[in-house]
Amino acid sequence: MGNKQTIFTDEQLDAYQDCTFFTRKEILRLHSRYHELAPHLVPMDYTNEPDCKLPLALIVDMPELKENPFRNRIVESFSEDGMGNLSFNEFVDMFSVLSEMAPRELKAIYAFKIYDFNVDNYLCKEDLEKTLNRLTKEELTPEEVELVCEKTIEEADLDGDNKLSYADFENMISRAPDFLSTFHIRI
Amino acid sequence: PRKCPLRITNTSTGARAMLRRMKKAVLSRPESSGLKRFISYRLFTHSRFSFKNKMKSKHIQSCLLSIAGRCNKCRSPLRSAEDPGSTKGPNMCGNSKATSESFFTFSHCGAKPCKRLEVGQLIYTCGVQSYFFFLRFLVVLNFLSFLLLGGFVLIPNIVFRSVGTDVGNITGDVLSLLFPHTGDKECMEYNPNPQGLVVFYEFFIHLLSGTGFMEYSYMFYGYYNNTVVQDDNFSYNIPLAYLFTAVFYFAFCLLCIIARSVPLRNLTTFTAESVSNYSMTVFTGWDYGCLGSKATKLKQRNIYYQLQVDLEEERLKKHAASLTLCSKVILYSLRVLMFLVAAGLIGAAIFAIKIATEFSQVEGILGLFYEYLPSIVITSGNFLVPLLCDQIALIEKYPPGATVIMALLRFAVFFLFLSQYSKSASLKLGSPDLRGSVNHMLGCWETRVGQEMYKLTLFDLLVNIALLVLVEFPRRMVVDNWSCKLSKWVGRQEFVVPSNVLGLVYGQTVVWTGALFCPLLPLINTVKFVILFYCKKITLFYNCRPAIRTFRSTTSAFFFLAVLLFGWILALVVMIYSLAVIHPSQACGPFRNLPRMWQTVPNSFYNLSKVTQDFLFFIGSQAFSIPLFALSCVVMCYITALASIYGKSVALLRAQLKLVCYIYVK
Repeated sequence: MGNKQTIFTDEQLDAYQDCTFFTRKEILRLHSRYHELAPHLVPMDYTNEPDCKLPLALIVDMPELKENPFRNRIVESFSEDGMGNLSFNEFVDMFSVLSEMAPRELKAIYAFKIYDFNVDNYLCKEDLEKTLNRLTKEELTPEEVELVCEKTIEEADLDGDNKLSYADFENMISRAPDFLSTFHIRI
Repeated sequence: PRKCPLRITNTSTGARAMLRRMKKAVLSRPESSGLKRFISYRLFTHSRFSFKNKMKSKHIQSCLLSIAGRCNKCRSPLRSAEDPGSTKGPNMCGNSKATSESFFTFSHCGAKPCKRLEVGQLIYTCGVQSYFFFLRFLVVLNFLSFLLLGGFVLIPNIVFRSVGTDVGNITGDVLSLLFPHTGDKECMEYNPNPQGLVVFYEFFIHLLSGTGFMEYSYMFYGYYNNTVVQDDNFSYNIPLAYLFTAVFYFAFCLLCIIARSVPLRNLTTFTAESVSNYSMTVFTGWDYGCLGSKATKLKQRNIYYQLQVDLEEERLKKHAASLTLCSKVILYSLRVLMFLVAAGLIGAAIFAIKIATEFSQVEGILGLFYEYLPSIVITSGNFLVPLLCDQIALIEKYPPGATVIMALLRFAVFFLFLSQYSKSASLKLGSPDLRGSVNHMLGCWETRVGQEMYKLTLFDLLVNIALLVLVEFPRRMVVDNWSCKLSKWVGRQEFVVPSNVLGLVYGQTVVWTGALFCPLLPLINTVKFVILFYCKKITLFYNCRPAIRTFRSTTSAFFFLAVLLFGWILALVVMIYSLAVIHPSQACGPFRNLPRMWQTVPNSFYNLSKVTQDFLFFIGSQAFSIPLFALSCVVMCYITALASIYGKSVALLRAQLKLVCYIYVK
């Protein structure tokens, strides 16, 4: 039942279990996935907490993220340096938030960060345009993009500053019935 | 105290504080097992539910378990039957029937209104899902109504026949003495059992058209006797039971439809559908679980078309608002013209049915073809009329959502009136007092109507299976393996939800109309719908590409139930007509010596005790019914007032929410 593993100490595994939404087995499986991405970089022994970060290019090569149009933004919003280099803790954090057991508030926070391309804590028109282009693979004409962005801001903006703050975003998300099921990556 | 190795990577202080609080709540519960902890953690952060309410938390627990893809019973992860990527891990639930897509699981959580059907790499829309839920609902409805009919009509008949009670079964000779004016001797004779040797292929003809060995059996009305069993402490009146069971069957179906539509109504009318279309699509439209480039491209196209549809509606609204008076007049006159054309088409199709019904009198294999002629005409109308309605709709230039609804309504009207016409035509043909000069006509018109309904049901199933095998599979093979311009233009079959749903409603209406004359028809329909479920599932997964242009309103389950209700009303009209107006046949069935089927009720009424009779008379009198009517008017006014108050308070709360958010942000 995994008590022969030497990757983590028992306290580490317990702490991971407490702080994320994964079980012991899933954390060990995540570690093996992380290791697969760069076997020569990632040590098998994490008991002394090595400081190892994988670059963005390796992470977005994972099959779960490969085709996602927002893959770069997802990885960037979970990395501490904002450049997309994830340590194992951040890796687990990412998949924990994107798992099915994370609560709505937590997912909303990170969804907001993902869609905020210029990282100014507001979803302005340019952010929306970029989001839309990635959603539709740039098949909408510029006028249509303009129209949709206008309508989106009109619908969700409550404080009238022509951009969406986190409160507006969360208010809109709370009315979406399928947000929890769509903002979910299974690993 | 445990040290959490994960750093909180948020920058905003408010969010960081919230995360710290959430993680503290988790850390303070060290004893509970993994999953329970997560669930209680989720419950804790979701402030709507209080821990003390055990019932709610149990329900939430099962909801969360199903959302988390875990088996309700053993809490281990579910193995999705169609997911080729999932390896069988050590903890997988061995209960393969517990997947949320399984036909026999009714315990799925209804909290998510838009679940996905995931097959390998392709993802389908809500509409297809709602079609399959609707089909499953119909299967359950049919099965339960079969139990109802079986318990009160079939089983007593079987019991009484085997016991051999012949009490009250008046034979034909006695009848002709008692009622000398009841027409010629032919009407009294009813012996449909085949005489002499039966040729082999005739077995199949009998099976397909309900004649021969099938006719004089529990299948059809003609086999049931009008026995009235009366013992010291047990009495059972078969005709009365038959009648009341039929009435209760209709009432039961109505209750089921209404009960199912009530929770759905809340979603469709009170969600802010018109308020946040665009923002919902943009922010929650993308499915992060999409795997593979094919599924991603598909999802992108989906979103693209969804936005196009919304933009198109916007454009049409603007255009309609900017029309001059002259162009408005032209548009409206065009619409009236097209309406008349559509009505003319429907009338022509009904005329074709009329001619077809009059042909169906010849014997043998050709006779079989002629017998099935009405069904054939109906099914071919099934294909042609939607095409024509589409062309008509192009000219009418309604907004896209309304176009589909108009087409659907026309289609529904055509279908249902057509089937009703064929039923009334066979009723007219069968009733001996309306067409006395038919010499080989059976003395049992009810059985004939039952046979017609049976044939319609069977033919519907056969056509669906034939289509699947002969059209859809070859089409897919051709398109996949032979790439030329033609195959690219034709493309794979699209799973069009509205016309499939209409097929289901048509089948169900046929069963409702025929249940009075063929008590086993709900059972046959159950089997038919189960076969259809699996056939449609197979064709969906192998042959179809998803319908890309979907309109929200027409794929809603509430709309399906509304159309089903319309079919129910039509079937009810036919039932009332046959119960209260038409003369039942003399030679067969439970109502054989009565002027009307409904006459059993007044006849047996006088067997009740005096007290009950007085009570029932009182209920029927004016002294009771007028105050009852007044009271129900008052109740209806109250409920309408309540509904309007709730609507106003919802609008008020929305405005307040905007104000509160404004204050919060500032």
